[in-house]
Amino acid sequence: MSGDGTPLLQVRGISKRFGGLQAVHDLSFDLRRGEILALLGPNGAGKTTAFNMIAGYFRTDQGRILFEGRDIAGRKPWDICRIGIARTFQLSKPFSDLTVAENLMVGGFVRRSEIDEIRAKALEIADFLGMGHQAATEVQHLTAFDRRKLELGRALSTEPKLLLMDEVVAGATPSEAQEMVELVRRIRDRGVTILIVEHVMKVIMALSERVIVMESGRLIANGKPKDVVRQPEVLKAYFGEGYAARA
Amino acid sequence: MDPLILGFAVVNGLLIGGIYGGVALGLSLIFGVLRVVNFAHGSLLMVGLYTAYWLQALAGIDPYASVIFTVPLLFCMGYFIQRVIIAPLIWRESALVVEPLSALLLTAGVYLVIDNLALMAFGPDVRSASTSLDMPPIMLGPIPVNMQRFIGFSAAILAAIGLVVWLRQTRMGRAIRATAQNRDAAALSGIDVPMIYAVTFGVGTALLGLFGSLLATFIPITPNVGLSFGIRSFIVVVLGGIGSIPGSILGGLVIGVFEAIASQFVPATSAAILSLGLFILILLVRPGGLMGKL
Amino acid sequence: MALRISKNMGAPQLATKSGYGRMATLLVVAAGVVALALPIAMPDPYFVHSCIVVLLFAYMATSWNFVCGYVGQLSIGHAMFAGVGGYATVLIFSRLGISPWLGMLVGGVLAAMLSVVVGYPTFRLKGPYFALTTIAFAEMIRIWVENTDTFLGIPLNGAAGITVPLVGESWVAFQFNGKTPYYYVILVMLVLALLATWRLERSKLGFYLKAIRGDRDAAEALGISPARYQLVALAISAFMTGVGGGFYAQFFRYVNADRLIGVEFSIDLALMSIIGGQGTVFGPLLGAVLLTPIAEITRGHLGGVLPGLHIVIYGIILILAVLYLPKGLIDPLRSILSRLSKNGRSA
Repeated sequence: MSGDGTPLLQVRGISKRFGGLQAVHDLSFDLRRGEILALLGPNGAGKTTAFNMIAGYFRTDQGRILFEGRDIAGRKPWDICRIGIARTFQLSKPFSDLTVAENLMVGGFVRRSEIDEIRAKALEIADFLGMGHQAATEVQHLTAFDRRKLELGRALSTEPKLLLMDEVVAGATPSEAQEMVELVRRIRDRGVTILIVEHVMKVIMALSERVIVMESGRLIANGKPKDVVRQPEVLKAYFGEGYAARA
Repeated sequence: MDPLILGFAVVNGLLIGGIYGGVALGLSLIFGVLRVVNFAHGSLLMVGLYTAYWLQALAGIDPYASVIFTVPLLFCMGYFIQRVIIAPLIWRESALVVEPLSALLLTAGVYLVIDNLALMAFGPDVRSASTSLDMPPIMLGPIPVNMQRFIGFSAAILAAIGLVVWLRQTRMGRAIRATAQNRDAAALSGIDVPMIYAVTFGVGTALLGLFGSLLATFIPITPNVGLSFGIRSFIVVVLGGIGSIPGSILGGLVIGVFEAIASQFVPATSAAILSLGLFILILLVRPGGLMGKL
Repeated sequence: MALRISKNMGAPQLATKSGYGRMATLLVVAAGVVALALPIAMPDPYFVHSCIVVLLFAYMATSWNFVCGYVGQLSIGHAMFAGVGGYATVLIFSRLGISPWLGMLVGGVLAAMLSVVVGYPTFRLKGPYFALTTIAFAEMIRIWVENTDTFLGIPLNGAAGITVPLVGESWVAFQFNGKTPYYYVILVMLVLALLATWRLERSKLGFYLKAIRGDRDAAEALGISPARYQLVALAISAFMTGVGGGFYAQFFRYVNADRLIGVEFSIDLALMSIIGGQGTVFGPLLGAVLLTPIAEITRGHLGGVLPGLHIVIYGIILILAVLYLPKGLIDPLRSILSRLSKNGRSA
């Protein structure tokens, strides 16, 4: 189930410093085509910084980010999008005075120029999200969870090869989280490779074939979810010294 | 260049600059607390100027004495503008932080109304008030210092000090600072935020009443005198750091001296163009201004 | 109810949309017929003159809206583009003898070039900062023109302004004795500006501007370089405004810095768009049609007595609109239209 094995994204020794804080230190990992990789770590571990460096929102101080073999470190967010990497935001950022359909159309212009085609594609994504009946609804009238799904759909509208997801289930109810997990799986089944930054362990266990764990800006674990959560470093990072000793 | 002329330019620049800073204090205070750019700032100074003028013309009250009328009047106007015009925006957006552009548009509306009401009421004629007090220039070495400007300058410094002390030492001042820092937390801890907003706005405009009276004796008073003061106040505030009281005075001094010296080399209008250019430059490269926050 | 049908949507609510669209189309056609027939039906020169002023403001506000309305930034400096266009048109005609028709286009191109210089650094700023910076740029230019008599040998005449040298009735020189030709010229310009806006709403650029307005970071993630698309839109808007400035010069046969580059003119354009409904095709037109006559009437009947009355009224309407109709007067009009067309179908 875990992709065809060829690397889509290769992160090679990226670092980022904010003033006195080394947010990410010499981080390297691979992402294989077709897999769902989760990036875990406690608050402040540097996950979001790493995420933003891949997405082009932060410059890397050092290191290379190879996407399909090309170095994309330092490219602007819009170029990254054109290359085929889409992202979601932790706090969903919909265009609130546009309709659902219009929100899903904006990204389409990156790949197509015919507006009717773009609209059709947007409606197809709305159906995929289970929001087809809300296509003409202005986003400001949506529930928080629907906005979250829309955030995902909007990223899909750019027809990415790689989707970077930042905390998709934060604040969701268990049934919503379940729906979201389903959705992410179906996105992967459409042939999109996924890197997901997540806090909620349970979601990750259900979703990803492989996880990597960061702590204090460094990579401390890499492997199958059920193996990784047993590693003492991971337990220590998440639950503190005492818990690790007991485990 | 003649050092005496340069010295004269610097002294004059400092005096005028201090006054610019004093006029800008209220703009900075209001922005610092409410995040509202008051486009009508200069217009309210114009109201202060006319009030001082008419009190003298009709009731024979010396402009310097008119302070006891202009300050409360302008306080009330500011209080009213906040309570009646800007507060509904806050309720509509059901947030304590208003969308800054809407607030700017509202105050732009206030500017249009006030300036043109003044034009309708008083016509475009240039007026000026005069004081009966005898104020010969004092000599600073060989450089004569204009007393009226010196009074304006001193008032600006004192007003800034007074404002800082008031914000630090009094209950109301601390409530204002708390609101400026985190209005939600302030509201939760029982501070009446709408009242704080209205008082802050009132205090910011009351200062314009003070300067209306103090400047009436040497500023030509016209209905549209406000805009140029308003724009200059924006420059001063951006230069000094938006929301910073000492920054406002410092920004005023920098602009005053800058314009005074520049106008020794280029025509005065080019000096005005240069300070607008400086304003743009500061916004682009150092939007925080010279000093930090409130 | 959560659904709001707006005509600019790629929304699939086809039934409602077409019903509403039919009503709107009818209204637009009717307005077009009235506009075409107006100077024939009511040839009184003063009336036609007033109509031209209304159309000119409608055109200018539509040009302003092209960038500001869609990208959600407030420019209070658009008069600088009108000024460049107006001065260029007059100078090119009086100094080089080149037809104002060409001069207007050159003026528009120069305005677009200026807009890139101004916009490139400025669009990074948000909200009030952007607005204040546009004022600062425009004021720099106004003060400079007002105090410059000649520049590189070109006479700008400082505060006095420049008059268009009269050559009598001539299409080439864009000078007519009657008002009617001017009326049709500005009408065509307005229609073109509205068409451009209508196209914008359905184009990539339009979607991109609305996305930038909605959320800049999110727009970037969707492949949009905000600086690039904002500049493109600003340049188009400045070009249109510059051409409008050229028309202003030809129609009034006079340009001066205070009126054409002043803050008040810039505010007028912004205010008409905002009151009418910014970010819509017809909002600025609606604003201009409702507001400009107030100025014409108060100036015509009470001009000497109450010089600033119309601006006081503008100011009050602006305040009320921002507070109670933030989407502009076109918003309630739209709901009325869609209700009417619904009733029409059910009846």
